[in-house]
Amino acid sequence: MTELLLDANQIRVEFGGLVAVNDVDFTIPVGSIVALIGPNGAGKTTFFNVLTGLYKPTAGTVMFDGKAVAGRAPHQIAALGLARTFQNIRLFGTMTAAENVMVAMHPHLKGGLWQTIIGTPGQRREEHEARDTARELIEFCGVRGDSDEFAKNLSYGDQRRLEVARALALRPKLLLLDEPTAGMNPQESDDFIAFVRRVRDEKKLTVLLIEHDMKVVMGVSERITVLEYGSKIAEGTGDEIRTNERVVEAYLGKAATQGAST
Amino acid sequence: MSSTTQAVRAGGREWNATNITGSALLVLVAAWVLWNFIDAPTQTLQVMILGLCNGALYALIALGYTLVYGIIELINFAHGDLFMLGSIFAAVMIADVFGQETSNPAGWLAFAITFPLAMAFCGSINVAVDQLAYRRLRKAPKLAPLITAVGVSFIFQNIGILWNGSAPKSRNSVLPSGGLNIGAISIPWTYLFTLAITVPLLMLLTWIVQKTRQGKAMRATAQDPDASRLMGINTNRTIAFTFALGGAMAGAAAIMYVQTNGTTRYDAGFQLGLIAFTAAVLGGVGNLTGAVLGGLLIGLIQGLNDGAPHGLGQEWSQSVVFTILILLMVFRPAGILGSQTMEKV
Amino acid sequence: MAAVTAAPAKATPPRRLIGKYLQPAAFLIVGLLVPTIVTNVPAFEDRWLPLTTMVLCAIFVLFTLGLNIVVGYAGLLDLGYVAFFLFGAYTAAWLMSDFFFQIDPGIHIWSAAVPTAPGINISFWIVLPIAALVAAIAGVIIGAPTLRLKSDYLALVTLGFGEILPQVFRNGESIKGFNLSNGTKGIAPVNALDMYWLSWTGIVDDKINVFDYTTRYYVIFALCLLFVLVSIRLRDGKLGRAWLAIREDELAASLMGVPLMRTKLWAYGVGAAAGGIGGAFYCVSLGGVNVDTFNFQFSVIVLCMVILGGMANVYGCILGAVILTWVNYTGMKEIGNAINNTFGTTIEMPHYQFLIFGFVLVLMMLFRRDGILPAARQKQSRAVDEQIEKIGTEEAPA
Repeated sequence: MTELLLDANQIRVEFGGLVAVNDVDFTIPVGSIVALIGPNGAGKTTFFNVLTGLYKPTAGTVMFDGKAVAGRAPHQIAALGLARTFQNIRLFGTMTAAENVMVAMHPHLKGGLWQTIIGTPGQRREEHEARDTARELIEFCGVRGDSDEFAKNLSYGDQRRLEVARALALRPKLLLLDEPTAGMNPQESDDFIAFVRRVRDEKKLTVLLIEHDMKVVMGVSERITVLEYGSKIAEGTGDEIRTNERVVEAYLGKAATQGAST
Repeated sequence: MSSTTQAVRAGGREWNATNITGSALLVLVAAWVLWNFIDAPTQTLQVMILGLCNGALYALIALGYTLVYGIIELINFAHGDLFMLGSIFAAVMIADVFGQETSNPAGWLAFAITFPLAMAFCGSINVAVDQLAYRRLRKAPKLAPLITAVGVSFIFQNIGILWNGSAPKSRNSVLPSGGLNIGAISIPWTYLFTLAITVPLLMLLTWIVQKTRQGKAMRATAQDPDASRLMGINTNRTIAFTFALGGAMAGAAAIMYVQTNGTTRYDAGFQLGLIAFTAAVLGGVGNLTGAVLGGLLIGLIQGLNDGAPHGLGQEWSQSVVFTILILLMVFRPAGILGSQTMEKV
Repeated sequence: MAAVTAAPAKATPPRRLIGKYLQPAAFLIVGLLVPTIVTNVPAFEDRWLPLTTMVLCAIFVLFTLGLNIVVGYAGLLDLGYVAFFLFGAYTAAWLMSDFFFQIDPGIHIWSAAVPTAPGINISFWIVLPIAALVAAIAGVIIGAPTLRLKSDYLALVTLGFGEILPQVFRNGESIKGFNLSNGTKGIAPVNALDMYWLSWTGIVDDKINVFDYTTRYYVIFALCLLFVLVSIRLRDGKLGRAWLAIREDELAASLMGVPLMRTKLWAYGVGAAAGGIGGAFYCVSLGGVNVDTFNFQFSVIVLCMVILGGMANVYGCILGAVILTWVNYTGMKEIGNAINNTFGTTIEMPHYQFLIFGFVLVLMMLFRRDGILPAARQKQSRAVDEQIEKIGTEEAPA
């Protein structure tokens, strides 16, 4: 039994009368790349938001890296090593690419108020190093624009890559990618698959994807979990999921399964 | 919309420090009212009733605030000053144009004619300001329309100074003086009249919002302007209509203010405006009945504070009202009748 | 995947360096020369740019820089900045006068007061950090319950505090028997501004004379300079980035590890400290404190200075503060006089002050929201916005 980086137990999220996440168990083994899929409205993003601390679950526990995190503030969870990107890009538009990445270094930078004001050698050095690290991450992620360019002026593809660079600045143990290939053409998606593997291997972290693009999902995930209407309906490898009747039904409707022959 | 990132408590109401403190405060206030009543029943009752009457004025102004905030999330800083301009308009109409200064059938006629005129006056100014200024800032960050409203407030106040002078002017009421006497308690006729028109106006507003097509357009635009536009609703006209309604309410309050308070002053708007907005928040912003309820409640509390035996006195009046506002926003921003809306991220 | 764009070379060319330091240098030089310029040109000293007004301008520069941290950097809508001004001024009044006359013989720490005077008499230079601290603490107390509110509600709550506190001080002559503030009488006189730490060189007197505006100007100028440095250092560091991120998108910021409440409180505290320092200086410069000075108008005017000048741009704020203070105290009157003298009219300009002010606000919001000197980031990103909006219309660039 491999070590679990994340262990979410019986997560339940209710918004008034609506049950968005219905007693879901979810684990992530250390060093793996797993995916969370399901039709729209299945509760995937809601579940993500529980993990990152935006929502406090109505019930259930989340153990991340051995610590209980359900209900903690988002910045605390981020500091523990859980970083994410967003479905709709949420960069800090009027800050440069480098500054965007440096924001995420906040938990790791030590410079206090007075050191910053006075400009102690230690603080200055820390800032230089932070800027260098930011540039490295930006290059690592393949952002082609200038790191001193304002984030909102970068191309769409660059913005997506910058979001990953920013997330990596948190030195995360777990990287959550929320529909990272939205808007990408097939070539870009292929590049992205390779990129995710490289990130996992070189940065030694674990990855959780939400994705709609099945090619990407099948191409990069070691394990796929399927949600429908807030409940987990299947979990397994790509082949297992592809041939699972309930999954096909959830995506394509009953008619598809009645005509299907495997 | 909301920019708070307080971890959303998905699920039912839970008893936490915030809720408990809020409820405890309410209990304390109720106990204080009771204490006053026990010590001096007549005095307490009298100030409570007068407070309610002032509260009716606050309610009318609060309706204007809550309508506009409900639809475009703008705290219209200039609303109180619009009310002030309306009061000068009404006073000038009745005293100078119609030449009526005492309570007689001619005076009552002048009043009856000026009432809708004042509402139209304030309504049109409100719409004009919206179309000229706020309209262009629909997509701008919150700061922009807020500052614009402050600017408009300044403009209105200066107009008030030029029109009414920098000192308060006393105005004679054309409604009967004296009042209804119940035992040792006296309720001025002017105040009763104010209370009497607030309820029908509230009912009229509620009917418009709930039952008419315009009202539905208002509710839709308040929920989601983009979707409303896609459904064929002319959101700009709807918003203008809302400003007109809100302004009309201010106009009604304005003419009643002159009759009950007997003065016009250029700075009446600022104070009353903030008190009225507190009332709107107390009742639940966007909620019409809540605005009226909030207005009456604030009037009550203010009356008690100013006149009851254990009140702090008039020099603390504003502090009391603002403390209520602050406590509300911290502990129960949804107000009495509002619902805690959970935002899906 | 090497960088393909024509990125500017990493080493800044000489012209750029000059450009980067030109603006600060210009402001510094002009600022230093103000008393000289103003007192040597009769038209300035008597009418258009009296030194008294320039001192006031400098005080408001400090306030504006302080509020800039709260509103400009962190994006928190504060309509109650007057509270910090109030605390700073009264702290100075309490610690530099015979208000606490019950303390007899008085406490004296390097003060300029008569040695036999009762009350607390502490040197202005020690009172300054105390006033800053008091204001900062007030900021934290006000901010702790309220900074998590959304922007319109925050505006209103800060406004509320900005109304309550002056009222408390107005009624403060006897709060359950304790005299907090002398109520409407105010506290005056206060001790003169002591300069013992510099007077031994002979450049200045032991204490600043009531009519000596030049030395007074340089004191407040130095304080402004200090705060400009503080602002820039903070903005370029970790805290400044956190503030800008919060202002841009606080949800994303928190998910990137920025602790929201703590960071916002820092903004509040630092901004408040500036208000406290300005308040202390104001009190000593005017020789006393009067509760009528503290009202909502002050909060709005300082906010307008930040916005008009250019949010998040230190130099814009300086400009905004100087222009608006000048207009308020000298400009309106003198322009009115000039118009009347030229055209034979009898318009009393100060009567129209609010009207003009209001129109300027509205017009700025409609047409030049970023202020006179917008922060570079605002300007550049807006330029791209406008280009994008033009695409598909007749004005599209070739």
